Amino acid sequence: MELLNLNIPSWSDLAYWRPEAILCGTFLAALLGDLIGRGRRPAISFVISVFGLITAGAYSVAAVLHGGAAHTIMGDLIIVDGMAAFFRLLFILAGLATVLFSWTAEEIMGRKRENKAEFFYLTVLMTAAMMVMAEARDLLMLFLSMEAVGLVSYVMAGYMRTSLRSTEASLKYVIFGAVSSGIMLYGLSLLYGMTGAMTFDGIRAGLLAGEVNGLSLLITVILILAGMSYKIAAVPFHFWCPDVYEGAPTPVAAIFSVGPKAAGFALMIRFFYTTLAAGADPSASAPLIELINWPLLMAVIAAVTMTYGNLVALRQLNVKRMLAYSSISHVGYLLMGFVLLTDAGLAAILFYLAVYTLMNLGAFFVVVALNNHIKSEELDDYAGIGFRAPWLGTMMVIFLASLTGVPPFAGFAGKFYVFTAVMDRQWFWLAILAALNSVVGLYYYFRVVKAMFLTRPAEGADTTPLKIHWLQYTVLAVLAVPTLVLGFWFGPLKVLADQAIGLLSTGM
Amino acid sequence: MGEHILSWMTFFPVIGAAVIAFIPSERKEIIKTVAAAAAAIPLVLAVQLYIGFDRGTSAFQFVEHYTWIKSFHIEYFMGVDGLSVPMMLLTALLSFICIIASWRIDKAVKGYFALFLILETGMFGVFSALDFFLFYVFWEVMLLPMYFLIGIWGGPRREYAAIKFFLYTLAGSVLMLLAMIAFYLNVSDPVTGGHTFNMLHMFNQANHSEWLQLTNVRHLIWLGLFIGFAIKVPIVPFHTWLPDAHVEAPTAVSVILAGVLLKMGTYGILRISYPMLPDAAQWFAYPMVILGAINILYGAFCAMAQTDMKKLVAYSSVSHMGYVLLGMGAMCKVGVDLQSAQAAINGAVFQMFNHGTITAMMFLGVGVIYDRAHHREINGFGGLGMQMPVYTSFFSFALFAALGLPGLSGFISEAMIFMGTFPAYRTVAMVSALGIVIGAAYVLWMLQRVFLGPKNDKYDSLPDINAREMFTLVPIGIIVLLLGVYPMPVLNLMKVSLTNLIKVVAG
Amino acid sequence: MTAADLIFYALAALTLVPALWVVGSPNIVHAGFNLLLTLLGVAGLFAWLGADFLAVAQLMVYIGGVLVLVLFTVMMTRVPQAREADSGAKRAILPGLFALGVLVVLLLVATGTHWGAPALTDAQPTTAEIGANFMTSYIFPFEYVSLVLLAALIGAAILIREPRGTEEDDEAGAAVETAEEEVQS
Repeated sequence: MELLNLNIPSWSDLAYWRPEAILCGTFLAALLGDLIGRGRRPAISFVISVFGLITAGAYSVAAVLHGGAAHTIMGDLIIVDGMAAFFRLLFILAGLATVLFSWTAEEIMGRKRENKAEFFYLTVLMTAAMMVMAEARDLLMLFLSMEAVGLVSYVMAGYMRTSLRSTEASLKYVIFGAVSSGIMLYGLSLLYGMTGAMTFDGIRAGLLAGEVNGLSLLITVILILAGMSYKIAAVPFHFWCPDVYEGAPTPVAAIFSVGPKAAGFALMIRFFYTTLAAGADPSASAPLIELINWPLLMAVIAAVTMTYGNLVALRQLNVKRMLAYSSISHVGYLLMGFVLLTDAGLAAILFYLAVYTLMNLGAFFVVVALNNHIKSEELDDYAGIGFRAPWLGTMMVIFLASLTGVPPFAGFAGKFYVFTAVMDRQWFWLAILAALNSVVGLYYYFRVVKAMFLTRPAEGADTTPLKIHWLQYTVLAVLAVPTLVLGFWFGPLKVLADQAIGLLSTGM
Repeated sequence: MGEHILSWMTFFPVIGAAVIAFIPSERKEIIKTVAAAAAAIPLVLAVQLYIGFDRGTSAFQFVEHYTWIKSFHIEYFMGVDGLSVPMMLLTALLSFICIIASWRIDKAVKGYFALFLILETGMFGVFSALDFFLFYVFWEVMLLPMYFLIGIWGGPRREYAAIKFFLYTLAGSVLMLLAMIAFYLNVSDPVTGGHTFNMLHMFNQANHSEWLQLTNVRHLIWLGLFIGFAIKVPIVPFHTWLPDAHVEAPTAVSVILAGVLLKMGTYGILRISYPMLPDAAQWFAYPMVILGAINILYGAFCAMAQTDMKKLVAYSSVSHMGYVLLGMGAMCKVGVDLQSAQAAINGAVFQMFNHGTITAMMFLGVGVIYDRAHHREINGFGGLGMQMPVYTSFFSFALFAALGLPGLSGFISEAMIFMGTFPAYRTVAMVSALGIVIGAAYVLWMLQRVFLGPKNDKYDSLPDINAREMFTLVPIGIIVLLLGVYPMPVLNLMKVSLTNLIKVVAG
Repeated sequence: MTAADLIFYALAALTLVPALWVVGSPNIVHAGFNLLLTLLGVAGLFAWLGADFLAVAQLMVYIGGVLVLVLFTVMMTRVPQAREADSGAKRAILPGLFALGVLVVLLLVATGTHWGAPALTDAQPTTAEIGANFMTSYIFPFEYVSLVLLAALIGAAILIREPRGTEEDDEAGAAVETAEEEVQS
């Protein structure tokens, strides 16, 4: 009987999967810690989570330093390669920063809040799930990993469950998520029907071998894009984004705005690059890309996404909502890197994502820190606050200027790289549109700066200096300093991103 | 310091800003002293630069060349030629004087001086960068400090003025960014064959790719760069940010804005657009002189209609920058004799320098009266000549310099520009000359309304100009007078480099 | 048309017709029972394709578990039986056209594609193979799903758990929340 010659995958592969395994263990340990503390000692979960994230981070750094040979883990459904290693660092940075910062965030740790410990271990689990998303190389794992991140996100969005807004946000998130997953699944099944393969490599081989009908492939790609657009909040699957960011506690919105987005991009890069472009001789044409006019499709999505996000952000008076729309517009900039599926474009996405993680987390964290004191995210309530907390204000200026894309901040380096990649293949209208969009961005980002520094507070308003917790200052400095330094010195990060894409494993 | 004089000039102010950031904000005098010292050292270095500069070559001097970001072929490449040295001198002088002129700032002193010094670093960087990327970074570094300096320390409509300034200039600079990337991707380094940001490689047409040699492409890139620079100059119709920014900005910031920042626009065209796209420069020569004439006349007419002294000076800047454009356009016309072209371009660059000094005096003068009377309405004064005789003589001196009185530096540069423009574009030059008449009209009319006539009793108690204010005005006054009598110290600096530029563009 | 085709179309009809009813019915209990038929049709399709394990799993999990729970919930929450939901017939024109367009496109895809998936072979019992795959090639996703399910469980617990603390605390907490709502809105 064939059961006798089972092909059992080697457990030793798991050595390359240490960071993820550690995070899964951390999740369970923090969960148990919470039970031991009878749900009244969030410090236990906090310490375990921080410790686990730092350990996983150390292993991830070590993995990058040891070079980027690709390893499949337990079968060949997921792979740890250069790109996965890059994203690992990104997710651990985002997860660790969020956990550390939230320890002093009233929205999570306030006296009346519930489920404090849950926030920490769910963030850890989300970090692990996002890492798996960046590693999937098979339709099954693609879907599973997306659903894993989605499930954790739904819970975190509805975290303040006594708040009507939070509940509404969570419900919206779930419904949109279910619909877009459904659409994507349909697309995935069409793809399987065409190729008979589940692995990305197999799909590519199947597409190249069989007679592919252009219309069918286009529809399939669009259906799959629907699911992924939902994850990265690209127009027209962005509707959940502002409501969820506004309804969820700000630290949750912070990690939502960077983590799942970056994970979505990782998945898109691996999936589309492998199935549609990999192995294509850069000088020759890529048959599959041309068949469905992929560049035009992506260029239009990118253009619409960035313009829409920007124009709506202009009207926002709530800083969290403004940042939500701004994150949509940044997705538009990021999608520019997808237009040609070239190595330079994809590396630009990685570069931009790293920079975006720093600056966007930073901006959200400043909102958290201010919320601790003024209990508001309305622009009007920010009047004169820059003088009450000068360092906090200065860092907010750094983050917002970087989001605008003004030199010498990291955001500029990111935009520069993306623009260069697009203009290298002569997509000028897209580059010009993106450049003009960043001017529009200036207006709404600097409305916050204006409120903080230029507007004088109303008569009789509180003008005492704000006391910001040292932990918050530390985390913000860890985000702000690279945001500044990467504006001057982005060579190393560029090399890292290029390597990650260069080491993107396409065939095993 | 001798070897890295440009780097020291550029980065000393920002080091000063870093030091200031760590001084407790109550120690205002210490902060101001540190700021003055951080601005004084570049001034000393500027003198050294002036002495050490070899006037006999058009090559770049004091060059510093290091790899900066290798993966993008970005270099730290600094150097100066006859075009940039006068601008460096102007920047060093005005920055130091502005720090002194800002002594009475009392609100958030720490932030003010730190931002001012960062601004100074940006200005030096723009005038000495020879790598396009480096140039762009310095160009943009100035925006943020400028936004805050106008927005926090400015007048009643400062919020509006600050964001308007920022939006306009950023809109211009993203176009420059795209043009820069287009160059980067289409110019090859003759040594390595890779892309490059090195301006010297970009100047060499042999390094341009085939695509970059298409006429339409060159014209489009030229226009992109031109709009980017034109907003800074500002060239009508991109000028509307300027009156707002000037009126709202504190005195010292107005001085820097008019004295140095406006020059960066014309400097950018001469440093980047002309040598990189000489054929497009020829193509654009006629529109350039027309725009110059429009600037001269429009600015002058607008100045005439103003009742706010600062706004009047602001519009006079628009008018005076028009002369620079006139000279720059005339230089590009092929077939004009070398002497005329030389007169035109030397006059234009000299006018950039002179406008920097003269307009600085005017803004400082307006600042003096504003500090005392707390308003700038031209019609609100009268007879100040009796009340403040010393101040009146200084301000009149500045105004006479502005209207181009012979014997003062403005006259020489304007005369040179007209001498150079007449052979090339006779009609335009003649029409533009009307600007001088209108200029005289608005200047004298203001002089009469503010300083002559019956004395306004409200201002009986106004004290005359004090020693610190004199200290800011006297050095500039001496320079204006000296260069009006003997302009060669500055003209000699730039002559060889500009002659070379003529050869590149129209030769 | 063979007998196998006939069976397929019958099963497809069993899946689709009640599904339309689910969407269109204003009565939520009727919708629930129609969903039962649809899920039954899907189980039938699995069986028709020779996926015996999946067919049974579909029956047990979706009909035996999920649907029963759904119906219980519906009945226990006492939804007004005869409430006429706004079917929005007028507003349905544009979405209807859109749906029609999607249908046409999908039909074009279905007919125009060269389907490369392996052809059906004679039905074999699949349970053993599925089990073996779970322990070998697919062990990773198998384990991963367990983690995902744990997360879902915890999430459900968080979302439905009674608030902790004393009653005064609850009132104060609710007051804080309300105040925040007001501030936010």
